[in-house]
Amino acid sequence: MKRIFLAAAAILAVLAAPPAPSQQLKVEDHVLSNGMNLLLVPRRDEPVVSGGWVAKVGSANERPGITGISHLFEHMMFKGTEAIGTKDFARDQKLIAEQERVRGLMRDEEAKMRAALRRGEIDDVAKPENKTPRYKELEKEFDALVKEQRDLLVKNEFDRIYTKLGASGMNASTNTDLTQYFITVPKNKLELWMWMESDRLKAPVFREFYSERDVVFEERRLRTESTPTGRLDEAFVEMFWHGHPYTWPVVGYPSDIPAITKAEADEYYALFYAPNNITAVLVGDFDPKEALAMAERYFGRIPRGKNPPPEMTILPPKWEAEMRLNGEADTNPQVEVDWHTVPFQNRDSYPLQVLAQLLNGRTGRLYKSMVVGDGAVATNVTARAISRKYAGEFEIDAEVKDGKAPEDTEKAVYVDLEKLKKDLVPAEELQKVKNNFAAQTFRGLQQNFFILLQLMGNEGRGDWKEFNEGPKKIQAVTAEDVRRVAQTYLTRENRGVATYTRKAGAAGAPEDPGLAAVPEQMRPMVKRTLASLATSTDPDKLKQTIAQMESQSAQMPPQMRPATELILQKARERLAELQKTAKPTEK
Amino acid sequence: MKKNILALAVFAALLASPRADAAAAVPAKPDQLVFKPFVYVPPAAKDHRMVLKSGVVAYLAENHELPLVNIQILLRGGTYLNPPGKEGLAELTGYLLARGGTKNRKAEDLEERLAFLAAQLNSAYGEDRGTVSLNLLAKDLDEGLAILREVLTEPRFQDDKLKLRKDQTLADMKQRNDSSADIERRERSFLAYGDDFYLNRSETKASLDGLSREDVVAFHRKWVDPKNMLVAAAGDFKKAEMAAKLDKLFAGWPHKGEAAPPVPKPNHVMVPGTFLVDKDVNQGRVSIMLPGLLRTDPDFFAAAIMNDILGGGGLVSRITNRVRSDEGLAYSAGSALQGGIWYAGRFGAAFQSKVRTAAYASQIVIEEMKKLRDGDVTDEELDTAKRSFIDTLPRRFSTPVQVTGLLADEEFTARYASDPGYYAKYQANVEKVTKADVKRQAQRLLKAEAVTLLVVGKKADLLNPDPKHPVKFADLTNGKLTEVPLRDPLTMQPMAAGSAK
Repeated sequence: MKRIFLAAAAILAVLAAPPAPSQQLKVEDHVLSNGMNLLLVPRRDEPVVSGGWVAKVGSANERPGITGISHLFEHMMFKGTEAIGTKDFARDQKLIAEQERVRGLMRDEEAKMRAALRRGEIDDVAKPENKTPRYKELEKEFDALVKEQRDLLVKNEFDRIYTKLGASGMNASTNTDLTQYFITVPKNKLELWMWMESDRLKAPVFREFYSERDVVFEERRLRTESTPTGRLDEAFVEMFWHGHPYTWPVVGYPSDIPAITKAEADEYYALFYAPNNITAVLVGDFDPKEALAMAERYFGRIPRGKNPPPEMTILPPKWEAEMRLNGEADTNPQVEVDWHTVPFQNRDSYPLQVLAQLLNGRTGRLYKSMVVGDGAVATNVTARAISRKYAGEFEIDAEVKDGKAPEDTEKAVYVDLEKLKKDLVPAEELQKVKNNFAAQTFRGLQQNFFILLQLMGNEGRGDWKEFNEGPKKIQAVTAEDVRRVAQTYLTRENRGVATYTRKAGAAGAPEDPGLAAVPEQMRPMVKRTLASLATSTDPDKLKQTIAQMESQSAQMPPQMRPATELILQKARERLAELQKTAKPTEK
Repeated sequence: MKKNILALAVFAALLASPRADAAAAVPAKPDQLVFKPFVYVPPAAKDHRMVLKSGVVAYLAENHELPLVNIQILLRGGTYLNPPGKEGLAELTGYLLARGGTKNRKAEDLEERLAFLAAQLNSAYGEDRGTVSLNLLAKDLDEGLAILREVLTEPRFQDDKLKLRKDQTLADMKQRNDSSADIERRERSFLAYGDDFYLNRSETKASLDGLSREDVVAFHRKWVDPKNMLVAAAGDFKKAEMAAKLDKLFAGWPHKGEAAPPVPKPNHVMVPGTFLVDKDVNQGRVSIMLPGLLRTDPDFFAAAIMNDILGGGGLVSRITNRVRSDEGLAYSAGSALQGGIWYAGRFGAAFQSKVRTAAYASQIVIEEMKKLRDGDVTDEELDTAKRSFIDTLPRRFSTPVQVTGLLADEEFTARYASDPGYYAKYQANVEKVTKADVKRQAQRLLKAEAVTLLVVGKKADLLNPDPKHPVKFADLTNGKLTEVPLRDPLTMQPMAAGSAK
């Protein structure tokens, strides 16, 4: 008795052990005279300063017609200023104006090409053969102007100055909510960073606008159009977020990217890149007093925006029904289930993060029930909770195990979720997840650059302080909270489901040769049937199916015949297999 | 006199209103900025290196800022140790070391314990090395090391975990023809190093099916031995205490293994010409290759700077500037000259452009190679490249984990033995490179007439260039255009043309 009591006490002691104290990052938070925010994190570990700034604008601030414009800035902001990038600013400006005039005429021709497309006279406005003769003429005129301008350009001067002075890792990134620009400079070059970043924020010049727009389209081809599931993923996001600005791709629609004008970019810049919509962050080896004075001297030059950036008024709609997308691609079969959840800093975002980690990973519930063991239905599965600025999603992805159908895998996901809606999570399991969140707060502090990224990511979604506050809220999550959010959000009408199956023959993947005779539009159905046959374990049910199909085969329309025969043949094979392995004692 | 002028200047500065001073203090161009001098001294092996009682070399760095410890064990050996017909064995063994349980703990129990401690334990065998790494909270160090010892000496290689890993590997294998990037990576390696080189002896369904638990056990016993190991550890510990703990980790090894043989060298001459893989995507992926060199080559720094100017230096480099910035033909375009560690590496330029401009962009890249070889680089280019090499050196050592990792890597790859002052002399060696050196290396390496060009994309469009720039792939190289069939993902044998439709 005493012994049991002791053991129980020991377990309790382990469970009650306070979570590893999470580290707080000391951040100096300043506002410059023009409303620009400045965060300073002095750290002496390495002789560098990682610097960045985040503009609180992303694809959610766009509208159809200019989708992708936020991301386009990520490229245009490296093209120079009055001081950087040209040998003759006045002539450069003149040539840009002249280029714009020609582009205006080209746009008139593009309108004609779109009209021809609508009438069915051409098949694709992007094909070189479909350009109007006038367009080709104008294009030559435009190319000549570009060539003329090139003689004045100091090409990629912005990059060259930084590179020559030892800066590295210069880049930028855009998502639905924010656009961020970052770089690391040697510790003695803080003033260089101040100069370069304030200069380009003060008055950037969008030179080489149209060739850079082409670069962005190549980026779209690289990431979306020429990857196995890129286009389907995009369609799924589109469907899942319909009615909300998260619906369109960050990189932009394929017809919007080549249609964005420089005038639209100028207007967008004036609205969203005002200093009062920007937070700059410095992490590294510097004197904060000196940095603050310097920032005021450099960034303080930039006037406050004329108009405040418009408030985002669109709220996520209430989604009334489950949405489904079934697609075929060069990929192993996979299933993705997403649920609509809550935005950044919402009180339910913390239990949702805990819930995701209870499901995720090798010791998570989904892996144990779906990937491991005899009843496995997946080769891999992941779960994550994402809270963006205006809305969130809870996402589960699974790769379907060979011989299983996507619906088997999908169903298994729901079985685990139902358990979490019903029963409270045991204390030790909850503690395991919390321990990992606590350790993560330390791991996230190991490098200046990652601290910078995390501060910018939080600030871009609304508040850098989440970096310190979020981990505490995670530690306060209870088993009841977890059950409540599972019940509230992981519902049927709140979800979107994508199932991908392998496109027939596309990538030379092994496939039943019998399928070749089956009409293409029927193949997905047949493949799914074959997959479920291959895993069927009930001989009686199989016999029944075979008998039924045999009796109906006479009335079958001829185009159905190859499919029926193939399914019949496989069903008979499976039955024979089952009868062979069946234990005699069962009879 | 000089002193007086200075005093005067200070006085004038004091008189000026702070506002005017602030405005005046922003120079018109950044080259007018003045920076305090800063000399960087890279970490030295002697401050971190020690030989443990077991003979294992360890690199240690203390850092008490965060309560974390990171331990990495490097293992000599790699996929080149896979016996013919047993491709995939090193990979499977490497994965299962940490994932397959130990004599005392079932895999599930081990995973649960690690997860509860929020400890990250991972293991793998790659091409030329194995790695076992442990990252955990300092308070759990002793328990973590005990687990590490079990994993290294008494792995369980649990049957169901072995089967699961094989299933997962087979699933990955089935995706081999799905992404044009994967196809490009694979065929590039075949063209660069030949079919027989170990890098290209990939696992197949047959080799995977044939792997048994006994194979895995034998591989472990033979190669996971302290005589093949090197350690890097950094974090919240005292060096002396960590050394004692590591002594314990390697003491009394229960089985006797063998020292891993050296990494083999390829015996292949690249065939010039254009090689095309038909894959239905609207962007062509192009790789343009030539023989490269060893990183211990006496001219390596000059060659690396040459490559940086050509296409390695990002937007300021020539290929990126022309293909991306001038012409808008690609998002990413550039070149790489990786100095080989064990054998000469390859020079490779690469980009991705819409199928109908891929040939035109290839022509530009080849043209830039010729221009660099036949012309001169500017002082500005040379200076930019040198500064970027010199001034970014500190970034390689930005955390104690990176410091110990990089120093251990020097020893693992034998440069510590041949050139122990490599990092100490690094900045001076870069500084020494002259324009003439760069030109010599361009002439030596950029044999633009002999390139091996690989392109993956939709064939019909690749061969039907945009009429604005009607460049033909066949005309770009000295060899003919060869169509390379896709390989059967499960056997890696080329498939008959047509079946890849």
